[in-house]
Amino acid sequence: MKRYVMRWEVLLLAILVAELLIFGMINPRFLRPSSLLFGTSDFVQVGIVAVPLTLVIIAGGIDVSFASTVGLAAIAFGIANFFGQPLPLSLLVGFATGALAGVLNATIIRLTRLQPLVVTLGSLYMFSGAATVLSGVVGANGYEGIGGFPAGFTALGYAQVMGLPMPLFVFLCFAAVLLVLLHLTRFGRLVFQIGLNENAARHSGMPVFRVQLMTYVLTGLAAALAGIMLSAYFGSARVDLGSATLLPAITAAVLGGASIYGGKGSVLGTVIATFIIGYLQQGLQMSGVPSQISSALSGALLVLVVALRHGAALLREFLPERSAQAD
Amino acid sequence: MFERIARDRVATLFLVTVAVLLLVGLAAPGFLSAGTATIIWSNGLVLMLVALGIFPVILTRNIDVSGGSILGLSAVVLGLALNDGFALPLALGFALGAGICAGVVNGLLVAGLGVPSIVATLGTLGLFRGVMLIATGGEWIEELPEALKSLGAKSYGGLSIMGIITALVIVAVWWFLRSRRGRWVMVTGDNREAAHHLGLPVRRIELLAFAWAGAMYALAGITFAAQIGFVPNQAGSGIELRAIAALVLGGISLLGGVGSVGGVVIGVIFFTSIDTSLVFLKIPAYWNDLIGGAMLLGVLLIDGRLRIALEARDRAARYRRGSNTEQKSQPLEDAA
Repeated sequence: MKRYVMRWEVLLLAILVAELLIFGMINPRFLRPSSLLFGTSDFVQVGIVAVPLTLVIIAGGIDVSFASTVGLAAIAFGIANFFGQPLPLSLLVGFATGALAGVLNATIIRLTRLQPLVVTLGSLYMFSGAATVLSGVVGANGYEGIGGFPAGFTALGYAQVMGLPMPLFVFLCFAAVLLVLLHLTRFGRLVFQIGLNENAARHSGMPVFRVQLMTYVLTGLAAALAGIMLSAYFGSARVDLGSATLLPAITAAVLGGASIYGGKGSVLGTVIATFIIGYLQQGLQMSGVPSQISSALSGALLVLVVALRHGAALLREFLPERSAQAD
Repeated sequence: MFERIARDRVATLFLVTVAVLLLVGLAAPGFLSAGTATIIWSNGLVLMLVALGIFPVILTRNIDVSGGSILGLSAVVLGLALNDGFALPLALGFALGAGICAGVVNGLLVAGLGVPSIVATLGTLGLFRGVMLIATGGEWIEELPEALKSLGAKSYGGLSIMGIITALVIVAVWWFLRSRRGRWVMVTGDNREAAHHLGLPVRRIELLAFAWAGAMYALAGITFAAQIGFVPNQAGSGIELRAIAALVLGGISLLGGVGSVGGVVIGVIFFTSIDTSLVFLKIPAYWNDLIGGAMLLGVLLIDGRLRIALEARDRAARYRRGSNTEQKSQPLEDAA
């Protein structure tokens, strides 16, 4: 029983409920189901990239380039559409761009054996640069972006599936797939093992590079998914679509329990953390707090929660007979 | 000769920078002049100061991504103090104080509570930016006094006062890292446990590294405000990533304990030269990130492969004369 109650995810869920209740008390309109449901369209893209990012972090890597990949894939999709390609082909171009970005990251990391942060930092610049140059090719300026999508496609951004807004539905499905992939398959166990001890994994014959490649490709694909979804939502593909997801997505993964040293983390935690971060921003706005303060508070939240976790870990070292199995 | 250069990232990068500048000079006559050199220096000043701030933090095997926000925060403190009628030296002191306080917050989180530095500083990146926006109420700070702007204007031999201060900081860091306490910083990053067992005040060293970073971001903020004459809301945002990229390019390892001031300087100058060259070549500014990013990845790729090849060769050589080295190392072990 204790094993299920004393989990980080349970604590996160409690934080989420407390947060919703507090905002509900300040502004009862916040708790209306429609505003809770449709408000998610403003932040689920953070979750879409944060979930595969969790896998990358668990496997001992990190990827910061997804923030540019979102824009790059959206622009690639927009350009294919601009040149009159049918929608399925344009979508394919967008997703292929995202996957290629992931392959490039993983390959360079493997070839140079450098820290992933360094390599993906370089590709963060390169991808956003490539997206800017590409959007210049079709004569779109940075602020308007590439528009002119078929009406059926932009309607998708506002469509509903089973009473859920489309972006939220896509996010939940995607998270469910990755949840199964990470926690119930052989691949998932490899991800954890490689994050815990890469050398041990390599010496016992595990396909280390292939697994890491998969995690980066998944992140690239997710970034493309987010980019295309945002293009539908806003009606145009812009270079900077993803730049606002960089910090919240890493925050969501870390808040969700992923250890930056690898080997620890969960999809469920990241999903709950995404909602905590997203609703915090929205709740603060609906309570009449200026958006400047809400960004300070979400930064403070991350610092506080992680400091608490580490403070608790320090305490645990002093108390005997309490093993670290609690998480 | 070739091997020495291949082993030394600073030398490689220096040669690449010179080659790029010469090529640009061929394509755009009038580029190679003392005037261009001072332009590159003053364009790169803010980035240089931020990089000099992160440098010791990375040497201790931590990282600090909150630089852009601390830069903005101290620039805002400076601007608000000046517009409230405080004297310039006092306002500069406030700005420096704000930077150091922010750095100490980072340091306490990392050294005191043991939060991984990337997580802690990601949090404070949002926190400090928010504090800055609350302080300004979301407005830009304009109409800064001329006295401040003169700090960023060219005055002595084409250099501004901030330019000269930056040069002095570079010399100071170089001198410090050669000193005994400077080596403590390196040791802490190279092997924290060993440093701790040797009796070094590891936590204090880390705390001081973050405080130093805060002070340097404040100097960068002052330079920023002096150079452009106003403080926008997004002042400094994203510069921390550019600075880290420049450091990596200059051979400073994110794994701690490896790096030199020369690497910092050449890394920053390389990045700034590319931006400045693009202006001279009349290439639209939107190519900057693509070219900068591709060159960063290219240098990392070539350097990484070279290093791996050299290491493999060294190892092979060591195996060949294996018995030799064993005998040599024997007396050392006895001594220990």
